[in-house]
Amino acid sequence: MIDTIKVLEEDLKKELKHLNMITIWGITGILAVLTGLLIVLFLSFNKTLGRKASDKTYDKYYVMITDDPSSSFWQSVYTSALAEAKKQNAYIEMIADNLSRDYSQTELMEIAISSGADGIVVTAGEMEGMKELIDRAHAAGIPVITLLNDNAQSERLSFVGIANYNLGREYGKLLIEMVDSKTFPGDTVNVTVLLDAGIEDSGQSVLAFAIQDAVKMDQAEHIRRKPIEIELAAVDASNTFSVEESVRNLFLGGKENIPDIVICLNENDTNSVYQMVVDYNEVGQVNILGYYDSDTILKGIERDVIYATLSVDTDQMGKYCIDALTEYYEMGNTSQYFTADSYVIKKSNVGEYRKEELNDQ
Amino acid sequence: MINKFRNLPLRIKMASISLFVNMLVFLINIVLLLAMNNMSDKIDTVYQANLQLNEISSAINDVQDSMTEYLDTKTSDSLEKYYISSQAFTELIETLGSSITESRQGRMERSIKSMADTYLDEVSQTIDAKRGRNIEKYRTRYEEATRLYGYINTYIYSLNNEQFKENSENYREMLTAFGRFEVMGNVIMVVVIIATTLLILRLTTSLIRPLRSLTTMANRVAKGDFEVSTVPVNSTDEIGIVTKAFNKMVVSIQDYIEKMKQSAETERMLKEKELMMETHLKDAQLKYLQAQINPHFLFNTLNAGAQLAMMEGADKTYEYVQVMAEFFRYNVKKGSRNVTIGEELELVDNYIYILNVRFSGEIHYEKEVDQNLLNVEMPSMILQPIVENCVNHGIREMMGEGKIKMSVYSLDNTACIRIEDNGAGMDEKTVENLKNGRPTSEKKDSNGIGMDNVYARLKLFTETDDCFSIESDGPGKGSRFTIYLDIKDRAEV
Repeated sequence: MIDTIKVLEEDLKKELKHLNMITIWGITGILAVLTGLLIVLFLSFNKTLGRKASDKTYDKYYVMITDDPSSSFWQSVYTSALAEAKKQNAYIEMIADNLSRDYSQTELMEIAISSGADGIVVTAGEMEGMKELIDRAHAAGIPVITLLNDNAQSERLSFVGIANYNLGREYGKLLIEMVDSKTFPGDTVNVTVLLDAGIEDSGQSVLAFAIQDAVKMDQAEHIRRKPIEIELAAVDASNTFSVEESVRNLFLGGKENIPDIVICLNENDTNSVYQMVVDYNEVGQVNILGYYDSDTILKGIERDVIYATLSVDTDQMGKYCIDALTEYYEMGNTSQYFTADSYVIKKSNVGEYRKEELNDQ
Repeated sequence: MINKFRNLPLRIKMASISLFVNMLVFLINIVLLLAMNNMSDKIDTVYQANLQLNEISSAINDVQDSMTEYLDTKTSDSLEKYYISSQAFTELIETLGSSITESRQGRMERSIKSMADTYLDEVSQTIDAKRGRNIEKYRTRYEEATRLYGYINTYIYSLNNEQFKENSENYREMLTAFGRFEVMGNVIMVVVIIATTLLILRLTTSLIRPLRSLTTMANRVAKGDFEVSTVPVNSTDEIGIVTKAFNKMVVSIQDYIEKMKQSAETERMLKEKELMMETHLKDAQLKYLQAQINPHFLFNTLNAGAQLAMMEGADKTYEYVQVMAEFFRYNVKKGSRNVTIGEELELVDNYIYILNVRFSGEIHYEKEVDQNLLNVEMPSMILQPIVENCVNHGIREMMGEGKIKMSVYSLDNTACIRIEDNGAGMDEKTVENLKNGRPTSEKKDSNGIGMDNVYARLKLFTETDDCFSIESDGPGKGSRFTIYLDIKDRAEV
């Protein structure tokens, strides 16, 4: 009896000892885990802070200079160029975006040259003083690509643009199509082509010329139609609000002076005219041939305010710029001209176009 | 490890527990402090870049100012100023990064660096042209430099803004992270404090437990309960030593008490026996002496009578007196010593002879003795009183021939002495009285040694109660007395 009790007591003691050890080790374990956790937390915290310091670096630095960096047209070109550049381990930058002051394109050219860029993409090929700057860049070993507007006399490496004459012919065809399909009140159909003022933009000139050419050729064939009067109007884009002012002037000259058809050759003008037509309640009276495929413009087509728009493949454009620069660095030279595709968007195909865009995204 | 710990001295145990806990808290504190320090350092560096940019900005200002001053005044003082400031500016722009990075700041830094190089070049050309009095050249250079100066300032300003924006964001992020970390740290500290408290409680309890059980046991011992089990010893620390000592003490107390009890018992037994023996012997002797006033004198006078009878030729008288002398001499000779069965039987023979002479052959005495048992020891003065009792109470009161039969035989290592008579017998009550040692009615002519005395002495001698039996088939049917003596024991003694 006593023996059994003793054995039981021993067992109980052993168990208690065991239990005691378990708690002691358990608590020690918890403490160890906590300390570990703290250290891990600390390290991860450090890592989050340190992450910003480590940054991917690139071999080449290109600069893109455009007239209106915030327009969706240039943003689209830039995005595609940047994506392509990154593939080539280069970085392209729209420097005007980063700076607290607005600089002219020539000034931006100066900055780009002195800031040690490996390549410059510039749109204002026609601007005064640009030739000298392009030559200076060339002398400093910096290849320059002119985009959309060429400066053939300069030492630029390549020109990336659209076939302006063909584009103008397209506008001409659209214009005739529109004149044929709609009725216009006056004796003549008054057409205004909006051109950028102050810039000797050979591209736009070619465009305007091609439109006139197309109309002339058509009128030679079809005499029965109302004569089409084409007028070139300068839009002052020299400062921020001048585009809007210039376009407004079109609508302030009295009913009879408002053109029947307005042809816009850039995105900004298209947006402005679209807005004016709506504001002045001229929907139906004033027809617009637009430029580029921004969301606003596509909406305008869907609402029948804009008859059609001509869109340029901006992705292709951006890609060509980088291709030219990459080729230059790899081969020492590249082709002088790159032509991006363009296409017409009308009400009949706008839905399809949007779908494609969605798919691309 | 645990066993090692268990065997450490108590103060080292306590010290190591507190050391362990303190170290743990200290460690966690250190980690927390390090983290906090690190974070505040990071927060400090956040605005470091802005400071640097400001320095660059003021340095380029100095360069521009000193250049302009030199162009204006052409003093050597301003030239020196220009050299110093352009040196300072060069050193500062060296610190800027020069790689094309994903982050805008990195790229801007690179641009600033590159532009600054161009600017410094332009400025130094301007100065050179001024010194060479090339007015046309220094003017265009100056304009160029000034334009660059403007661009650089714009860049610095923009970068500063950019960095400030990002830094503010970083700072906010850092502050939230800091706050989170603080909360975490506090929670961890609280948990650690709770855990360490539990740990200390646990450890000290395990240290104190043996002390508690020791106290419980000691209290029981103090209350007189010496039957406590020993306290288990788990350690060799001070508590372990005390526990061991306590266990030893309890065991030796138990031993001591046991020994005391045993010796007291034996002593008591011995004393009691001695006392009893003495008392009974004294009693017997006293009665004997009362009866035989002076056996020596009687014996001597009887001897003288025997010699006188022999001289006179009276052989029967001589024999009678001789036997009587022998009978009395037995008492004188044997006294208090133990005797053999043979000697006792001789005494009975003499007694019967004397009685037969006295009562002229009335008693028929018969003997049946195993000769091997004659040397078995027994107390003296046992058989004669029994025979006397048979004669006085049995035969004398009966009519007709009285018979006494003495048998000595062995039965399973026991010497049996049986004395039978065919006398008056006894009723059950008398038998019972005799057995219990109560004296029956005294007769004046007995020699005084009663059955109770015989029985008591036999019991003392044999140390058992079953040494003596009295039987009777009833009044008138005779009695039977039997004595049982252990042969072996007595023979050896």
